[in-house]
Amino acid sequence: MPKEIKDIKDNVMDQIHEHKLKMRPRIYFVVGSFFAFVGLISSVVISMFFIELTSFSLRTHGPMGQYRLDQILSSFPWWAPVFAIIGLGVGIWLIRRYDFFYKINFRIIIIASILAIIAGIWIIDVTGLGDTLIRRGPMHGIMKQYLQNNNTQDPPGCYKTLEK
Amino acid sequence: MEENNEPTDKEIVNKIRSNDPDSYSIIIDRYKNKLLRYATNLVHNEDEAAHIVQDSFIKAYINLNGFNIKKKFSSWIYRIVHNEAVNAIKKYKKEVPILDNIDFKSNQNIENDFEQKETAAHVKDCLGLMPLIYSEPLSLYYLDEKSYEEISDILRIPMGTVATRINRAKKLMKNICQKK
Repeated sequence: MPKEIKDIKDNVMDQIHEHKLKMRPRIYFVVGSFFAFVGLISSVVISMFFIELTSFSLRTHGPMGQYRLDQILSSFPWWAPVFAIIGLGVGIWLIRRYDFFYKINFRIIIIASILAIIAGIWIIDVTGLGDTLIRRGPMHGIMKQYLQNNNTQDPPGCYKTLEK
Repeated sequence: MEENNEPTDKEIVNKIRSNDPDSYSIIIDRYKNKLLRYATNLVHNEDEAAHIVQDSFIKAYINLNGFNIKKKFSSWIYRIVHNEAVNAIKKYKKEVPILDNIDFKSNQNIENDFEQKETAAHVKDCLGLMPLIYSEPLSLYYLDEKSYEEISDILRIPMGTVATRINRAKKLMKNICQKK
């Protein structure tokens, strides 16, 4: 048996007695779990926000045959879906850090995350919360900037506030 | 009837957390040899395994307050050794390559043949020739006598995957051992 094997206990206990090894306090893990949870929620919200922004930018070109493909391509905020996907990726990565994730099929986690985000966006659309946020909430500034930059027709619900 | 006065892992961990670091030596005594065998099966090098186990005990001590007392301590410490061993394997690139075109032919009486004919030493030799994803659950099941649930907790894979890998590992083991 190698000498190192015999020494494991002595090496570890010596380091503990010499105070070279210290247990991390419980608060370290509580704070870590809290930030992981906040990060998870934030990533879902960010994904929803940027998917909503993506669908909003598509709507600004008007219904039916009014919009032109080149206009959409030139003014479309490509960074929005990129951020949406990054948010989703970070969310899934954070889920994987939780203890229970491995008991569930990873494909189910991904599909459930995507469905949860789509359901969230649908609820926001149906309840009109999206338009409220665009008029008053944190999306207002981004939308205004986006419409000004692209000189785009305002979507329903944004005329009054944004044209002021 | 003989009374078992051995403190449980949970009791020892609670003592260590309550400012009794000397009790950690009981944990080390209890798990040192098991973890050394487990780590040796993973890295196929006793010196390297000793380093891995020592580092694992150090990490376990530092993060002891993060351990969920409702869960099994043994699964937690095995998980730490698994992580350390996998990191070491990646670092030194000693990993046995995963064989994609493995022959899983012979299905008849594999379990019986395996349990009746193979000796522990022979099994250990054969384990070294198998890809890690199969040898690890197999050694945990037969050598460390862990349940499927514990293996699932250690390897962070669903129980169904544990069962599949053990079954495949047994077939693979038979093929490899027969060729030896």
